[in-house]
Amino acid sequence: MSMLRDVFITGTGAVLPGERVGNDRMEDVIGRIGGRASAVGRRALRWNGIEGRHYALNADGEPLHSNASMCAEAVRAALDEAGLSLGDLQHLGAAATQGDYLVPGHASAVHAELGAGPLEAFSYQSVCASALMAAKGAWLSVRAGEAEVAAACAGEFSSRWFRPAFYEGTALVDEKGRARIEADFLRFTLSDGAGAVVMEPRPKPDGLSLKVEWIDMTSLAGRFDPCMWAGSTPEARADMTSAWSHAGPVAAHAAGAVALLQDFDLLKIVIRAWIGVWLEKVDAGRIVPDQVDHLLCHYSARSLRQEIVGLLESTAAMIPEEKWFTTLADSGNVGSASIWVMLDAFMASGRGRRGDKVLCIVPESGRAMIGFMMLEIV
Amino acid sequence: MAEREAEAAVADCLRKLAVVFADFEQRLEATPLIRKLTRGRFEIGDYHAFLINLRQQVKDGALWMSRAASNIGEDHLELRSTLMRHAVTEHRDFRLLEADFVASGGLLSDIQSAPKNVGSEALSAWMFHEASKPDPFGLLGAMFIIEGLGSIKARPWGLKVQERLALPDEAVRFLLYHGDNDAEHMKEFEEMLGMVLPDPFVAERIVVTARVTARLYALQIEEIAA
Repeated sequence: MSMLRDVFITGTGAVLPGERVGNDRMEDVIGRIGGRASAVGRRALRWNGIEGRHYALNADGEPLHSNASMCAEAVRAALDEAGLSLGDLQHLGAAATQGDYLVPGHASAVHAELGAGPLEAFSYQSVCASALMAAKGAWLSVRAGEAEVAAACAGEFSSRWFRPAFYEGTALVDEKGRARIEADFLRFTLSDGAGAVVMEPRPKPDGLSLKVEWIDMTSLAGRFDPCMWAGSTPEARADMTSAWSHAGPVAAHAAGAVALLQDFDLLKIVIRAWIGVWLEKVDAGRIVPDQVDHLLCHYSARSLRQEIVGLLESTAAMIPEEKWFTTLADSGNVGSASIWVMLDAFMASGRGRRGDKVLCIVPESGRAMIGFMMLEIV
Repeated sequence: MAEREAEAAVADCLRKLAVVFADFEQRLEATPLIRKLTRGRFEIGDYHAFLINLRQQVKDGALWMSRAASNIGEDHLELRSTLMRHAVTEHRDFRLLEADFVASGGLLSDIQSAPKNVGSEALSAWMFHEASKPDPFGLLGAMFIIEGLGSIKARPWGLKVQERLALPDEAVRFLLYHGDNDAEHMKEFEEMLGMVLPDPFVAERIVVTARVTARLYALQIEEIAA
């Protein structure tokens, strides 16, 4: 039996479409439901701390990109940074919350956009954690000797889903024209972009690479109802036979079963579940907080409530805020693409030194999941 | 040096307890009763069953705590005092719960005469058994679970019950009045741990007791089917 190989990220790429849109202009792009300014937008922005983001739509609602084209661009950038070309790529893992089409998978769309020859392609559909699902696939493939060059990419085109037509005339808007908080809050949370990494069995000859030490995923879906979802109404979401496709698109849309929704009461519980997984990893010695030099997480330390920070501190499991590297405030929460956008910015920032440990954490509220990736700069 | 060692032992124990609590909370979320509450299918009968089945444990709480206090030796008088204070604070809480039951349309005799469910029987027997041992420090783990439930879960549940059933405040006081002074509770709990740690055997017993208590408590809630 052959040995497992070490695997290195030799290139990263990120795409943030169009120009940066500040908080004051975001509703000019995604639109106003029923023509009125959102009642919950400010609160959402205060909570998540986001000050700017990018949209793949212009102010007239015209698309600047597709999800697949953003992903393809990110893969090209990552290959370029690794000093490779498209012809070297053997394994493509593509992640998204929602691809451009319902069918076929996102990886096919990205592959087509790349215009590359035959290769292995894998689609990963979840929410934010899908990025690390694709990363784990790429990592294992290179590790096992199945591929010499693998790319994992992730992309989101959320703004398309946030336009008023997804809510107006549905049960998500009351008689006074106000959108339900489950629907409106997310419009102020997520934005567009894509990111990618390239993995190989050796570091690149020049510059810094990242050795992938391990990737762990934990799904807690067996314990929770959907927390962030599209495809059912808030009331019926635990019943999979209520899926939008059963009612058909017109009736499902009217019932409010098509838009992206979030249950905020449940989110608070899911956050504690994520913290539970984190504490378990610390307790088992899988993660030693003092040995982590940089923490990348698309959640802000500020949005964790004080009692959670208190719990982390009193259990010797907190990573001090000065070790958190984030692009959240500046370029928003890009869902599954966030972690690659951050890693790309981190590598460009010059903050990392050889030997530093970089921990990436990707919590997903979807149905309660969290992924961890430990990297070492080499 | 010794102080740092004690701090590390407390942090280590607290972390293990938090892991147990996270699993406990997830189990509770998946129980039929709480699923009804979060899925909008909770009826007044469910609320009454909830109160009836909580009452026994709430009533027992102060009793096992007093018994545990009486079994704490003279090397740990401060912990004994703390437990006695706790018991005094809580020993009438079940009256509040009964009042909620009546204010939401139940009959006092119904809640007072209801039998314990299987989980409550097991939980109660376990708590008194542990409390009857000399220096029953493992029960700190049980307190972490039960008080954590009070400070983290009770109030959100109370608000959901109230919203769903359109009940006045005086019918949900037991659930709503918990959850105050969360940070204070936590600080006091850390101090209690500091009175018995570092001691690897005690630390392990605290975590095991928490795990058993959490499992039996969840069983108590699982058993509620109105």
